[in-house]
Amino acid sequence: MRVVIAEDVYLLRAGLTRLLEAYDFEVVAAVESGPELLAALIEHRPDVAVVDVRLPPTFTDEGLRAAIEARHTHPGLPVVVLSQHVQQLYARELLADGGGGVGYLLKDRVFNDEQFVDALRRVAAGGTAMDPDVVAKLISGRPPMAKLSPREREVLGLMAEGRSNAAIGQRLFLSDSAVSKHIASIFGKLGLAASDDDNRRVLAVLAHIAGNSSESRP
Amino acid sequence: MTRSLRLGAAVAAGLGLLTTLIWGVSGQGYFWPRWVWMGVAIPVGLAGAVAWARQQRVGRRRRLAIHGAISVVISLLEVVIWLLSGLGWFWPIFPIAALAALFGVHAWVLGRLPPERERELLQRVDVLSRSRSGALDIQAAELRRIERDLHDGAQARMVSLAMSLGLAARLVKSDPDAAASLLDEARASTVSALDELRDVVHGIHPPVLAERGLADAIRVVALDSPLDVEVAADLPGRLDPPVESAAYFAVRELLTNAAKHSGAEKVQVDVGHAGQLLRIVVHDDGHGGADPAGGTGLLGVRRRLGTFDGVLEVRSPTGGPTTLTMEIPCVLSSRRTSTCSEPD
Repeated sequence: MRVVIAEDVYLLRAGLTRLLEAYDFEVVAAVESGPELLAALIEHRPDVAVVDVRLPPTFTDEGLRAAIEARHTHPGLPVVVLSQHVQQLYARELLADGGGGVGYLLKDRVFNDEQFVDALRRVAAGGTAMDPDVVAKLISGRPPMAKLSPREREVLGLMAEGRSNAAIGQRLFLSDSAVSKHIASIFGKLGLAASDDDNRRVLAVLAHIAGNSSESRP
Repeated sequence: MTRSLRLGAAVAAGLGLLTTLIWGVSGQGYFWPRWVWMGVAIPVGLAGAVAWARQQRVGRRRRLAIHGAISVVISLLEVVIWLLSGLGWFWPIFPIAALAALFGVHAWVLGRLPPERERELLQRVDVLSRSRSGALDIQAAELRRIERDLHDGAQARMVSLAMSLGLAARLVKSDPDAAASLLDEARASTVSALDELRDVVHGIHPPVLAERGLADAIRVVALDSPLDVEVAADLPGRLDPPVESAAYFAVRELLTNAAKHSGAEKVQVDVGHAGQLLRIVVHDDGHGGADPAGGTGLLGVRRRLGTFDGVLEVRSPTGGPTTLTMEIPCVLSSRRTSTCSEPD
């Protein structure tokens, strides 16, 4: 699997490269600034890109903007955005185009290499990988969520992170059919149309919770 | 000398010359035009004297100078009348003495009062020294808090991390299972340390503020608030980082207050910049009764803003609603604030 890495701190860039190569990824470019990233994404069209939010030259949200711009010109280009902090605002922006192949994770998640690599593969396949922290923020306090039972909220959280039914069942010690039943109930309560396709289902959930209370946006 | 004054003087001189000419043509005799000359000299002299006095800086000194100049012109006039009316006993001594006495009283009163400018400056120095000590207090308290957070948080985690790693290294041959679980513990400890460092960093300078500027940073606070907060922001540029930071923490404090005390459901935040003034209005539909002197929250906001000559106006009648208006004088730089929908 071909991957582009954008990270300005040398140690992290080298560490990520080493980690991904250990899992048989091919690192086709490891860049350290926003403009270089945009060029690399368009030149290499990687299977997945791993992008730090804050990059030179401005050290603001260069990486995020480059990722959004690249996905604008190449819809569905799989990008996993890494950051020292996760924000609902940025998650909403990444999800705004409604396409799959998006990840948004805290840098800490890299420590758990298996889960991190799993998230990359999921995004490369057109799925999503949302950080549990940002999912928790998106879900908490939204009025429709009050209708869900605690168990359903757990299932919803894991689903919003981008996990499959099997993974959710494993994590919560539930059978596949129990997971399906919970999901059907969640979709019913939120008024969403059910879908068999995992990725499309996750996007519907994310669009729903990210769309909530977004009237505050200009 | 202003143009209108010069024009007035020219007209007066023309009038004087004309009457003198008429007097010369009409057989001379008693030189009556001297009264015309005197008549036209009065307004010109007064205007000239006042124009001179007006060169002083605005304030009491200028008023004194105008007073003096008019007194001098009137005194001269009386002397001239005395000269033209055939000398005799020097009667102008009385009005001149009266004018001088009046002027003396004016000057004496002025001398007794502290000069206006000085009083303004004293007030300003007072405000500045108070806001400076307030700013230093806030800063010192913040540094203490950061020190404590680092000491009790990340630093302590690092110590336990090093201990776990040392123990794991010792056990790796004799008891690999125990070593593996210690390593797992060490990893968890690192994650917690990062969490705590993130909180500390957020308290020093919120990352979104650095990355996106005030408007989006306030949007993030709004999204994370338990209340339904609407944000309408119109900032065509970036603010100075210290002002941006003060405004951000002030808004965050006000929103925290609203969530804790107001009983509000909806909050509206308007952010705008006009005429070198940043203006932020936080309006909630709660039960009001916010006391600007009571809680430490509003006082703290006021002190924070005071450092930048900013003000906080509180309108919160019992029963609500509450409207809090902040104004900070500042300029916008041309750096454009990125907005969510635009990638560039």
